[in-house]
Amino acid sequence: MLMLCMFSCTKLKDKSYNQIIASQFNPTGDDLTSLVGAAYINWRALLLQWNSVSRAQESSADELVTPARPNGWVDGGIYRRMHEHKWTADDDVIGNSWTRTFAGITNCNRIIYQLESGSIPLTSGKENVVAEMKVLRASYYYVLCDLFGNVPIVTDFNVPDGFLPEQNTRKEVYDFVVKEISDNISLLSEKNDQSTYGRFNQWAAHTLLAKMYLNAEVFSGTAAWDKCIEECDKVITSGAGYVLENNQKDVFKTDNENSKEIIFALPLDENYVTDWNAFDIHMQTLEPENQATYNLKSTPWGGICATPQFINSYDKEDARYTDNWIMGQQYTAGGDALMGTMGAYTGKPLVYVNEVPGVDQSEEVHGYRLGKFEIKMGANVQLSNDWPLFRYADILMMKAESLLRTGKAEEAAAIVTAVRQRDFKANPSKATVTSAALMKGSSYDYGLRNHLNTTTEGGADIVYGRFLDELGWEFAQEVRRRQDMIRFNAFTKKSWLSHTPNGDYRKLYPIPRIELDKNANLHQNDGYN
Amino acid sequence: MIAYHLRKYLIALLCMCMLFSGVSAQEKNTSLQDALKKVTQAFGIQFVYDPELLAGKSTDYDFSNVSKKSAEEVLKAVLYPHNIVFLYVKPKYYTIVSKDRIENETKQPTHQSASQVPEQTATQAGKNISGTITDSTGKAVAMVNVTEKGTRNTVMSAQDGSFTIKTNAPNPVLVVSSVGYVSRELPVANEDNINIILSAEVSNLNEVVVIGYGIQKKADVTSSVATIKSENFVKGTVLDAGQLLQGKVAGLSVSAPSGDPTSGSQILLRGSTTILGANANPLILIDGIPGDLKTVAPEDIESMDVLKDGSAAAIYGTRGTNGVIIVTTRRASGNFTNAVEYSGYVSTQTIARKMDMLTAADYRKQIADGTRDASWDLGSSTDWLKEISQTPISHVHNLTFRGGNSRTNYLANVNYRMLEGIFKKSDNNTFTGRVDINHSMFNDKLKFNFGVISSQNKYTTTGDGASFNGYTYRQALIRNPTSPVYDSTGKWYEQTGLFNYENPLSRLYESDGQNTSQNTRYNTNISLTPIRGLKLNALLSYTKFNQTRGYSETKQHISTLRDGKNGYASVGGIESVDRLMELTAQYNKTIDAHKFSVLAGYSYQENEYRENWMQNWDFPTDLFGYNNIGIGKALKEGLAPTYSYKGVTNLIGFFGRLTYSYKDRYLLLGSLRYEAASQLYGTKKPWGLFPAASVGWRITNEPFMQGQRIFDDLKLRAGYGVTGTQPNSLFLGVALLNYGGYFLSNGQWIQTLTPSQNPNPNLRWEEKHESNIGIDFSMFKGRISGSVDYYVRNINGLLYDYQVPSPPNLYTSTRANVGKMQNKGIEVIVNYTPVQTRTFSWTTSVNFSTNSNKLASLSNDLYKLNTNYFTTGGTGEPIQTFTHIVEIGKNIGDFYGFKVTDVTDDGKWIYEGKDGKPVQYNDFNHAFEDKKVLGNGLPKYYAGWNNNFSYKNWDMAITMRGAFKYQILNFQRMYYENTNLQQYNRLKSAYDKVFGKAVLSKEMPLEFNSYYVENGDFWKVDNVTIGYNFRKTGVKFIKSARLYVSTLNTFTITGYKGIDPEVNRLGLNPGDDDRDKYPTTRTYTFGVNLNF
Repeated sequence: MLMLCMFSCTKLKDKSYNQIIASQFNPTGDDLTSLVGAAYINWRALLLQWNSVSRAQESSADELVTPARPNGWVDGGIYRRMHEHKWTADDDVIGNSWTRTFAGITNCNRIIYQLESGSIPLTSGKENVVAEMKVLRASYYYVLCDLFGNVPIVTDFNVPDGFLPEQNTRKEVYDFVVKEISDNISLLSEKNDQSTYGRFNQWAAHTLLAKMYLNAEVFSGTAAWDKCIEECDKVITSGAGYVLENNQKDVFKTDNENSKEIIFALPLDENYVTDWNAFDIHMQTLEPENQATYNLKSTPWGGICATPQFINSYDKEDARYTDNWIMGQQYTAGGDALMGTMGAYTGKPLVYVNEVPGVDQSEEVHGYRLGKFEIKMGANVQLSNDWPLFRYADILMMKAESLLRTGKAEEAAAIVTAVRQRDFKANPSKATVTSAALMKGSSYDYGLRNHLNTTTEGGADIVYGRFLDELGWEFAQEVRRRQDMIRFNAFTKKSWLSHTPNGDYRKLYPIPRIELDKNANLHQNDGYN
Repeated sequence: MIAYHLRKYLIALLCMCMLFSGVSAQEKNTSLQDALKKVTQAFGIQFVYDPELLAGKSTDYDFSNVSKKSAEEVLKAVLYPHNIVFLYVKPKYYTIVSKDRIENETKQPTHQSASQVPEQTATQAGKNISGTITDSTGKAVAMVNVTEKGTRNTVMSAQDGSFTIKTNAPNPVLVVSSVGYVSRELPVANEDNINIILSAEVSNLNEVVVIGYGIQKKADVTSSVATIKSENFVKGTVLDAGQLLQGKVAGLSVSAPSGDPTSGSQILLRGSTTILGANANPLILIDGIPGDLKTVAPEDIESMDVLKDGSAAAIYGTRGTNGVIIVTTRRASGNFTNAVEYSGYVSTQTIARKMDMLTAADYRKQIADGTRDASWDLGSSTDWLKEISQTPISHVHNLTFRGGNSRTNYLANVNYRMLEGIFKKSDNNTFTGRVDINHSMFNDKLKFNFGVISSQNKYTTTGDGASFNGYTYRQALIRNPTSPVYDSTGKWYEQTGLFNYENPLSRLYESDGQNTSQNTRYNTNISLTPIRGLKLNALLSYTKFNQTRGYSETKQHISTLRDGKNGYASVGGIESVDRLMELTAQYNKTIDAHKFSVLAGYSYQENEYRENWMQNWDFPTDLFGYNNIGIGKALKEGLAPTYSYKGVTNLIGFFGRLTYSYKDRYLLLGSLRYEAASQLYGTKKPWGLFPAASVGWRITNEPFMQGQRIFDDLKLRAGYGVTGTQPNSLFLGVALLNYGGYFLSNGQWIQTLTPSQNPNPNLRWEEKHESNIGIDFSMFKGRISGSVDYYVRNINGLLYDYQVPSPPNLYTSTRANVGKMQNKGIEVIVNYTPVQTRTFSWTTSVNFSTNSNKLASLSNDLYKLNTNYFTTGGTGEPIQTFTHIVEIGKNIGDFYGFKVTDVTDDGKWIYEGKDGKPVQYNDFNHAFEDKKVLGNGLPKYYAGWNNNFSYKNWDMAITMRGAFKYQILNFQRMYYENTNLQQYNRLKSAYDKVFGKAVLSKEMPLEFNSYYVENGDFWKVDNVTIGYNFRKTGVKFIKSARLYVSTLNTFTITGYKGIDPEVNRLGLNPGDDDRDKYPTTRTYTFGVNLNF
């Protein structure tokens, strides 16, 4: 028996049956897409998964609110804190936004390292893949620059043990993103077809750069409106086939992957992107009874709705008003009126009204629901609509805003009118916006408006407020309202529903406490200490 | 003086040879010396004698059929004719002496040792006294010495416990003694027939203690080892072997935190030892082979040994940190002639405490009072908890056969346990069979042991892979009591719109599931003794565990009504194979006053684990349940997940041990284990070295202690040992890649390849360095005994998922050896026999222990924390926050949350602010900085008090225990005392005034704060057993019988408002009393033991 042992008695088992031991893995060119794809999919997680960037951009702003409902939605008070600008460095919205975005950066760094060091052998086109990864990485830094500002720029993968990144200023992050895109854009594909769908081609990169320039004043302290126009023009004149859809709704339908308006999409599919909360906005907004409306596979959870003051700002003939919001009496798929099943509206008609008592309380009927993305009959928890992160209307509106802010209101008005035309088919004259109108303030009736308090602030004092309104109507529910409000200096100045301003420093989110704990080089953003 | 002479005499005899021989047994005339050798051969009995006494004497006894007779019978026939008698020393050891010698020493004529001597030697002054001897469970005890006090007049009890002694003195006193039992002195006045009950001795010096890879006399043990014999086990319907030890061992906290019949006991030895919560369990060895507390039936266990300190456990190296529990099953041996034993019991249970929720009447009163909207009255009155409950009937049957002779003997055991829980569709059925066969060859030089354990287990599941789904219990509590069970069409009444709200009965009856498993272990042990003192041993075992499970939900289940599954099913299977080979060589040698033993060994253990499952839904019919999973559509549509896994690990160890004692006064033990596990493959140091040393000083064996009469034994011990913790994740040190989410590439969805773990080549073993000093004492002839231990455990290199920035790291956490933890404590156990008369005896045992558990550090050279804490534990949704903080330098188990000090008149919380001043609800930030330590979930003190009484044929045992100075977070109150959410039922106490001031405002959301942290101190009368023993059953083939009734978890004295203050104590979030926990129960048992 001792003899038996001598041969094998000190050898440890080293075979893994369900994971790849990295040191035993020799990737080939065929594995490239699997490796590169890993760096892209962080985008959809950071944007859409539970309590992440979608909350950071929307629940803190004036379009959407998640009030306490008869079936919950208190969740430790997080939505209320977001609404009231009382978030803390421990809130998961803050932490998730950070880690899910940086996860994408880490993946980019790793792949760039693997490509450059040759551990992913690639005979041709290596520079192009590296360039694409660098632009993708820049896109993640764009998110961080917007939300947190002063974050560490990490581009190295192969660092010594215990290496801790240094913090950079928001300006440095801005410069980095601009430089990375500019340096690499020419190596990207010019194609706009299936092969570049969901990936950074040159036009997506120009759009990203335009976004950086659009927000340059906020991000870096120096405006760059002309540069923004320049980048927009490159997309407009690209010849890559980007046009506005005839109906805005078509950009958001279930099978929207062929839309010519989409420049950069996050592809989603109920069969393949099945992470819980991958894309479930319908589950988060509809009341449970609405299951019968769409024959949904699962009962929705209720919750998120429009802020009534925002809805009131719409022209009721705007197709975007009726197409983007679910309102009024709710019916089953067969046409029977739905009744409430909870709280004070049990047994009463389920009619969505444009009223919300406050972020702290509401009933089933309160608030219009989010309907911009088509809800397929028989939909699962996960929707299959692709998420249009950049679309052509945005290029046009970025150009228009830059023109407006550089004294070219006429040109801006023409573009805005062009974008609006599809929304006022019944009454085309309403589509037209004059330069004078664009110079006006906002029609949003700001002020506290809840069961406890009512105040009147109005929006007339917001410079170019009319344009901010237009952005609201066009891009509602597209996870950007906070960014727009900050650019128009309304985010920390105005009150709405149960929200009152709580400090200008809240334009930036705090660095998550856990990240400060991990890295002594990081300092908290001003105002949060 | 007599005793002194006799001892001298015996010591002289001990120098003589011990016999091992193998002459064939056919000759007619055999020398007495050879005759004894034959007895040794046949019965495994050894003798000590003066060869001169036997010289020249022979017998014509026919040894050909010796195996059919008893040893005593043969010895009498061989020795008595020569006026030679035999004296019992201990099991299997006899002294052979001349009858005259004894008579001379006692200076008076007596009857002789070992059974009755010929009539003619008896004097007429005495009388015959006969009787039976049993233990406290009614089992006959054989080979008990019954001596007339002040004489050498001794007899021994027979196999059935009976004896007859002829006494001489007018008022004789009988001294009854046997190894393992408390000796008794019984004055016999006028009776001539008495029954004697012996209670098991908790501490006995000659008792053999099982230590790693061997046994040691308790007197020689130098580390902290506790032995509990079956007589002292907790009686009644226990869930597993662990519960048998509940409250019996100081420093070993055993709790049964769940009432689920499939659950087990939770064991915590000397406090928490790990941060990650992995492998918090002690190593459980069943007859030397790793297993778990359910490997064998509790009724089939002979004894359990707990190796508590590091010096004892270090021989088990990487698995020893949480202690080692060695389970010894009842073994076959040549000592038993063919015997059959049966034990069985039936039991029922009630919930330990019911949560007092609002009733339908309460709802209606609230509606009438205007505090609740009328729409919440759904017209019925339903007691939902009652609806899901049942009166469980459980029964357990255990049958044991033993037989054979000293060469080949066997034991066969069958055990059937049919347990029911207090909730419907909650059960657990196990059938276990075990066979143990011994065979010895070549004059006992080669011994074989072969064993098979096979158990079949089956239980109903009402969750996927789970047993009883605790969520169903939650639904019963929170369900509107005015809600009907069925709707007007006879279907289950459901309100699918309410979030997390499901008809609990529908959950039970529209689901169907079963887990079946089989665990089979084959083991063989071969030992060879080529020369005296040297033993070579090979232990081989193969264990295979197979589990198959199936679960389905019909189209009437909420999974269809709400979640659109349209029928759901899942099936799965697990296979786990363990192979073990342990080779040891042991050599014992005594040179004058020096006793040595050396052990060396090699151990190879390998585990192969495979698992697979699949789910499917959208079925055309409910008819097939989970038995035709392919017909669902979800798999075809690519929606349903499937899974398979395989992992192979091994553990390789070399070990050695040396024991040395000088004059039985100075004892030394040293051991070393060198071990590696494949979990650390790829790291720089997969091999770890685990040394231990312990010393003992038996003060009572010093010459200066010889005159004293107080202490029978007094021993000081000190030990130091290093042990490890085996990590349970595979490939911890290397970077891993895994296929992850899908990515759309050129119109095709492809799977991405992503890193799933940061590499850490510096990973090494967690090491526990434990020092233990202790004292063992036995006083007044064993009437008082006990031990005191003090220990300090320093655990270094604790694995922790260290949060690291990503980038540069691939992943936001790295598993690294960063933690240092310290456990300190004192353990005291005292056994005492306050009363010992002929008809009544009372033995009692008190144990007490303390433990403090601190985190000393959480950083190493590479990893430094900016802050000195991390948070852990979770409230669950919707509160969604952590419950505990682990802070460097502070105790493990601190609750961390908002501290409320008061409420306003309208029922809003008033908090203690950062500066200690009160803060109103609306001004309170509810941020991390506003949280405070609210208590600690780990008891500072544990105590146990066990009592055994016997009166004539009656006996009673009471087991009590308590834990003190700790807090519990009462999740039930935290969730069910809130008045904010209307759709869920709540506790009546929700309407009690907070701090006597005001009912909590409706505006207060659910929140974790100090109001729900309660003191957990308790004193529990746990196991009470009353039994009656029938000596003479009146039935010819039943030798003895015992009937008993027993309760478990009888009653609890506590201020805690939850169900049971004995909540989870493992891990870093001890004291969280989870709301979905299967409630603990009170158990009533009626049982019977029969010996055939």
